[in-house]
Amino acid sequence: MPLSLNYVFKRTGSAILVIIGVIVFSYLLLYLAPGDPAYIWAGRPRGPQASIAIENARRELGLDKPLPVQIALFTYRVFTGDMGVSIEYKKPVSEIIWRGLTASLELLIVAYIIGASIGILLGILSALKRGSKLDSTLQLAAITLTNAPSFWLAIGFIVAIQVLTGFTQYARIDQRLAIETGFHPITGFYLLDSLIEGNIPVFIDVLVKILPPALVVATYPLGLGIRMTRALMSDVLQEEYIRAAIAWGVRRRYVIWRYGFRGTTPGLVQVIGLAFAYSLIDAMIVEIVFGREGLGTLAYHIIGKSDFPLIIGLMITVTSFYIVVNTLTDIIQALIDPRVRI
Amino acid sequence: MSDRRGLRRLRDIRGLIERSWRRRRTFKAGVIISATLILIAILGPFIAPYPSEGWGIPPETPRGARPPSWEHLFGTDASGRDLLSRILIGASVALLQVVIVIAVSLGIGLFIGALSAYYRGWIERILNYFIEVFMAFPAIIVALALRSMIGRGLMIVLLSLIITWWSWYARIAYIYARSIREMDYVLLAELSGLPRWRILFRHIIPNTMTPVIVQAITDTGGVLLEAASINFLGLGLPADYPDWGVLVQNGFNYIYSYPWISLIPGAFILLAALGFSMIGDTLREELDPRLRRRWKLWF
Repeated sequence: MPLSLNYVFKRTGSAILVIIGVIVFSYLLLYLAPGDPAYIWAGRPRGPQASIAIENARRELGLDKPLPVQIALFTYRVFTGDMGVSIEYKKPVSEIIWRGLTASLELLIVAYIIGASIGILLGILSALKRGSKLDSTLQLAAITLTNAPSFWLAIGFIVAIQVLTGFTQYARIDQRLAIETGFHPITGFYLLDSLIEGNIPVFIDVLVKILPPALVVATYPLGLGIRMTRALMSDVLQEEYIRAAIAWGVRRRYVIWRYGFRGTTPGLVQVIGLAFAYSLIDAMIVEIVFGREGLGTLAYHIIGKSDFPLIIGLMITVTSFYIVVNTLTDIIQALIDPRVRI
Repeated sequence: MSDRRGLRRLRDIRGLIERSWRRRRTFKAGVIISATLILIAILGPFIAPYPSEGWGIPPETPRGARPPSWEHLFGTDASGRDLLSRILIGASVALLQVVIVIAVSLGIGLFIGALSAYYRGWIERILNYFIEVFMAFPAIIVALALRSMIGRGLMIVLLSLIITWWSWYARIAYIYARSIREMDYVLLAELSGLPRWRILFRHIIPNTMTPVIVQAITDTGGVLLEAASINFLGLGLPADYPDWGVLVQNGFNYIYSYPWISLIPGAFILLAALGFSMIGDTLREELDPRLRRRWKLWF
């Protein structure tokens, strides 16, 4: 059996426990906040009837119950997909967040397909040419890319693109084009949807608009890929079995890919998986700068406002995303690397 | 006695630094960049050509945004304030937040990690659970939540970063402390009747310090970037503050007409993060014998 179900259950169980911890902490953080959410929920009422309105709001939000009961109820509701209604948007939080999350994930996935693949290839090149001019140039480029603030890079991209091509529209999709061609998103991932429907104009439109922000988000996995692949690859190429393969007269290219690169995959999955989980925040920041729909712009609009349900929802979503991706990474790693399965 | 033990640990780090300085060019470059920026942070207020504008007071004769010239090396911002002065004066703010965050999270993390490893049992289990929960929180989202409770200010930057970073140091300290707790000298100290908390402070914590401190040095670049992002999004320091992240934010509305207002302070953020990371990464590579191995491909 390649992977014990026991390991999967154990890992999933602990992930769920951590997510519960996250929910409780988020709730407590905002519960302990100064300012009364019930007061805001009731629409900041004034006048003689105000206290009744606030009392109603309190009951509606479940704030009249004792704290442990509130937390238990809230946790239960989150797991059933109900995170309340956003005060600012007047819509269910889970609906708004789902829409934002698909947009952000689309950006993130495109960015990682570009960044990680190029990064890994350049990293292998760097490891093979270790000590050369090319190697040191790549290393310098990699450390610069991982340390560039993404909001600054995004601004640089916007300015450069505007100067070069005059293009300034980064909304996620051209609404008019979508309506004219009868585009109906099903999954919420527009690139995928337009392909399924065979709607080529929309696909091109969405792709053109996603590429500049995706390239900015891709700088981190690109730099990280170069650095980590080089380190892992150098390590593996030192192994006894590589020496043995070369001594047996196996072709160099075959050794590098089938023995060398294969040995780095568990490490790479770990690193790229962790970075992917972490980069959601990066994608959100880049979205804000580009003015693109997504979790980032969602968060940006409620800065400084008391939309507690949405803030809690965002906190839980982004944090759970991190935990879920991490857990998946661990499971995938166990699947491909038997040493992890204990 | 305990002082001497602490000193020995610090000497480990000193040896590591000396070795890196001798062997690695990247380390030297990182030290030079960081030293220059720290110098700027200290001297900034004195060498700024237009100090009052640096602090955020607009010039008496309004001049509007001007591109870089000899008079204003980095140009002026939308209210006509000299950008070079703003950057020089903001350097101390930008760097100081990072130092505070790293120092406090390091302290908390080291203590909790060592405590968790040494006390075992339910303390270990509960603390590890907390560590895992807090590791998942991103600082920017915590800052967003804090922002809706308290007003803009340094407190949001510090709190949100400390709440999220301490757990990483706790995790590393825990991993190292777990091997320290099995050492013979810890057993000996226990047998000689030293109270457990004294053992914790005298043996466990000093001996787990080196790798955690190296990790903290590696992280400075990352913390700087996160702090800058929080300030850029308008979650942290107020809009007139000369912090570098805030400066980028100030130019954000004018990127098509006056791009330098955003781009130049951002370049300083990059430079600072790069300098710190160059130091941290080489230190970590030197500390880890697996990464240190230097060789050329032989086939």
